[in-house]
Amino acid sequence: MSFLLGCPLCGPRDVYEFRFGGEIQKRPAPGSAPETWGAYLYARTNIDGIERAWWFHRAGCRRWFQAERDTRDNRVFQTAWLLPAASAAGGRDDSAAAVQPITARPPAAPAGAPGPEGTANG
Amino acid sequence: MAEKPLPVPRRLPPANGTPEPRKVRFSFAGRQRTAQEGDTIASALAAESVDVLTHSFKYHRPRGILCADGRCPNCMVDVDGRPNVRACVTPVTEGMRVRPQNVWPSMRADLLSLTDRFDRLLPVGFYYKTFIRPRFLWPLYERVLRGAAGLGKVDPKGHPDMHQRRRNLHADVVVIGGGPAGCLAALEAAASGASVVLVDDQADLGGHLRIRTRPIRGDARVDGLSGRAAASSLAHLVAADPRIRHLARATAIGIYEGRLVAVSQGETFIHVRAGQVVAATGAHERPLLFHDNDRPGIMLASAILRLRWLHDVRIGRRVVVVTDDDHGWRQAAELLAAGFEVTGLLDIRAEGSNATSREGAGEVRRAGVEIHHGATVLAARGTSRVTGLSFRTADGVERGIEGDLVALAARPEPVISLLSQEGVQPRWDDRIGDFVPGDLTPGMHTAGHINGPLPDALVLAEGSLVGRVAASAAGHDPRNGSTALPVAHLRAVADALAAVEPRPAVQTPGGRKQFLCVCEDVTVKELQQGVKEGFGSLELMKRYSTVTMGPCQGKMCHGLAARVQALFTGATPAQTGLTTSRPPFQPVSLASLAGPHLARTRRTAMHDRHEALGATWTDMGDWKRPLHYGDVVAECLAVHRAAGLIDVSTLGKLDVQGADAGEFLDWLHPNRFSDLKVGRVRYRAMLDDAGIILDDGAVARLGPERFLVSTTTGNIDAVDQWFGWWLAGGPRRVAVTDVTGQYAAVNLAGPNSREIMQRVTSLDVSREAMPYLAAAQGDVAGVPAIILRIGFVGELGYEIHVPADYGAHLWDALIDAGRDLGLRPFGVEAQRVLRLEKQHAIVGQDTDALSNPIEAGMGWVVKADKPDFIGRDASLVVEARGPRLVLTGIEIIGHDLPAEGASILREGSNTGIGRITSAKWSPMLERGIALGWVDISDATEGNRVTLRLGVGKAGGTTVGRIRTKPFYDPAGERLRA
Repeated sequence: MSFLLGCPLCGPRDVYEFRFGGEIQKRPAPGSAPETWGAYLYARTNIDGIERAWWFHRAGCRRWFQAERDTRDNRVFQTAWLLPAASAAGGRDDSAAAVQPITARPPAAPAGAPGPEGTANG
Repeated sequence: MAEKPLPVPRRLPPANGTPEPRKVRFSFAGRQRTAQEGDTIASALAAESVDVLTHSFKYHRPRGILCADGRCPNCMVDVDGRPNVRACVTPVTEGMRVRPQNVWPSMRADLLSLTDRFDRLLPVGFYYKTFIRPRFLWPLYERVLRGAAGLGKVDPKGHPDMHQRRRNLHADVVVIGGGPAGCLAALEAAASGASVVLVDDQADLGGHLRIRTRPIRGDARVDGLSGRAAASSLAHLVAADPRIRHLARATAIGIYEGRLVAVSQGETFIHVRAGQVVAATGAHERPLLFHDNDRPGIMLASAILRLRWLHDVRIGRRVVVVTDDDHGWRQAAELLAAGFEVTGLLDIRAEGSNATSREGAGEVRRAGVEIHHGATVLAARGTSRVTGLSFRTADGVERGIEGDLVALAARPEPVISLLSQEGVQPRWDDRIGDFVPGDLTPGMHTAGHINGPLPDALVLAEGSLVGRVAASAAGHDPRNGSTALPVAHLRAVADALAAVEPRPAVQTPGGRKQFLCVCEDVTVKELQQGVKEGFGSLELMKRYSTVTMGPCQGKMCHGLAARVQALFTGATPAQTGLTTSRPPFQPVSLASLAGPHLARTRRTAMHDRHEALGATWTDMGDWKRPLHYGDVVAECLAVHRAAGLIDVSTLGKLDVQGADAGEFLDWLHPNRFSDLKVGRVRYRAMLDDAGIILDDGAVARLGPERFLVSTTTGNIDAVDQWFGWWLAGGPRRVAVTDVTGQYAAVNLAGPNSREIMQRVTSLDVSREAMPYLAAAQGDVAGVPAIILRIGFVGELGYEIHVPADYGAHLWDALIDAGRDLGLRPFGVEAQRVLRLEKQHAIVGQDTDALSNPIEAGMGWVVKADKPDFIGRDASLVVEARGPRLVLTGIEIIGHDLPAEGASILREGSNTGIGRITSAKWSPMLERGIALGWVDISDATEGNRVTLRLGVGKAGGTTVGRIRTKPFYDPAGERLRA
């Protein structure tokens, strides 16, 4: 991987400046079934195609944003603090996550596992 | 055969009016040698009549300069302990110690050269065939083979003088290759407004023009100049252009995704991000095949000219030129112009109709050179230096010709392997009989001799055109970019290539030692044998014979291997194809790829004070922390009986402000902070949505909308990201700032700490005014401070945060104030003991990726009455099913301490019921204490358990007793004092 990613604040930067933050998902409502939580926590689409995901500009402005990227050739179609809810590029309907990102879930826990980097980057 | 000293000095005198170059002394194989400024190691040795620079990899045959251009393996030497340095492109420096490789015990008496006589014992693929049986002897074989094989020796201790650097560059257009096409592409792209990086592996620009006297025509900038004058003219134009950044002696070793061009330039490794790439990598001569074609003195024609023109060294006097193309005639003329006597020109082609109109033909004939058309070169004469060739004339007569040099002047082959890495497939071009770049990938362009043997005018025109095309494509979506060239130009190129005779089929006259691959000593015969054994595919042949797999990465043998393979399989070269080219284009050191050592080390503001106290250091995250100051026991007892001072600056600190800050912290934690009063501090444990403990620390409310959140030392970065993620794009009015480095902090703990505080602050630090869990702000030692009444270590304590600049001052002030009250600095080790006495868990040590707060004994943090928080549903599930394992204290009977991670067994059985996470000796309690996870049914107060001492079954066992309450001050009275 050596593509450029456009940070909404800092502009195009080498992908190694970023932490991959995982697919954009909608957090289940409180009281959801354990299976729903299980799918949210552990199941990933891992799409061979156009993916909408979180990214963190770790070596730059240290802000989170979203990017739409083709996982097959790493073309990046758009990046934004929040992607427009309905994307022409398709993918899953993440409209709820886009409107209310607070209910979405980040990719990996920051700690719990041994070591400060236990959760580190993609 | 003895080395015959040449009667005439090889070094040419300096040109009129130029001063004598400075002398440089170095050693080769233990002998002092003299070079002059501007020399490479190889050119200096050539001037000193040292012809054998190394012995070959497999047969230990003497080898000398072949390419003089850093492409072949023939001059790889050890320089000051660095192996595999290419002598021909490495400038010689004063005092350099150069040693030959692959010689044992010495170059003069290399015993392993016997392998050359017994080559029949080392057939192609011999390592697959021999030394296999008997099996039990393999370790012996292996030892001997490992000693005999390999290239150079790496010093495992490394080189402290290596200073690797890493740079990043961006350019609209990156031009690879600084020959005429590359220079003009760079100039035209820059003139069009593009920013240009020009990567060239030579010291000076100009490419092959630098070793050419013949004039060049086709562009006003160089018209009528000799090649050498044109080269310096182009170099001046490039240097004068502020839009072009010229990277000299820099090799593009790979082209990666997103047109990232990796460039190795000495000790600097450069990532060049290219909008567009122009590959102007040119074409290179490569060897011709005949018996003993590897003898020193047999060189590429360009190598002889490079030594002559770039280093003023004439490495011989009398040259036999061998060629398969008009190129050889031009090179023969160049050699004459360079002052060599050309004793013969052996052209393997039959005499064609254009024999007299060839460029160079006039000069060659005028000089009276013996010319043979349709010649078959049979063998070289001489051992450590060539003395001539034997060949067969077109009439079938065997003859000899003398010369102390043989110039191999086969038509240069396009250098396409770098482009192939980018996904441009090689395409066989029947018209010229060579592989050329196939369909270009987006953003890639080619110009010059990479496309075939174009005449000067077209090389220059193509460079200019492609420079403009690349510039116009830069800055746009490369998918919309165009690589289209004007039709007129394409037509001219097609016409020019059509006029070229196809390269004749490769000639292999026979003989055992026709070296195809000089890196791995692969001969034509071995390829023939391999084909007989069924290795008809070149990719399989490559793996079997290792052809193209040596350090030159196929630069000498890539195309040749395809042609020879085709000869024996009966396929065409087009069907045979080339082996896959992979990065790096040129070998690059691991140190260069690894880059500079950039591990960050953070030191607290009090670091020097610890150093002065003789601290033993430990690494925590990026931080250096004092582990102890020499006496852990005294440090522990001081905290309990008097007072102790520990630097806790490394704790992560987040400043969380805003109208929604309290509500946000409620959302992130199982417990509540919105109801925390200003001036109070509360424990925080943070969960993820699986209910797992991520981190812990404290939250102090410093104002209605301001909180100071502390994290564990190693987790600050992750927690900062976690906070930021939950805020990203959301409506909450909260600002989170990592202020870890902004504050220095200490924990002053122990029964005397209040009295010490009274001496350094005017604040009321009484129990009533500043009780346990108070968060005060005011001056301490004359500087603004935040004081938190919390204590990890279980005694009355004050955690004092001051601006980092005052850290050392605060430390000094407290040490002074506490001197007569028994104050003693303590380190992390004592802190670990003290907290264990209180059964305070360390997140990440006593908890892991499966630990939830309910089972970790802090179920009280989970406020299930809150409508939602991260980890709520998962915590409710655990609560409903009840705990299975619990984190509990274990008192150890006896002096033996179990290792962290050791098993806990049900007493009198071999049934595992848990594991130890921390175990220490408590000097205060005078017994071993531990924390561990134990099955709920066994975790009853006072229950006796068996503890393994080591991890696994090592180390025997001891006995422990479950203690569910803190070992020390279980009621917490001392903490609240």
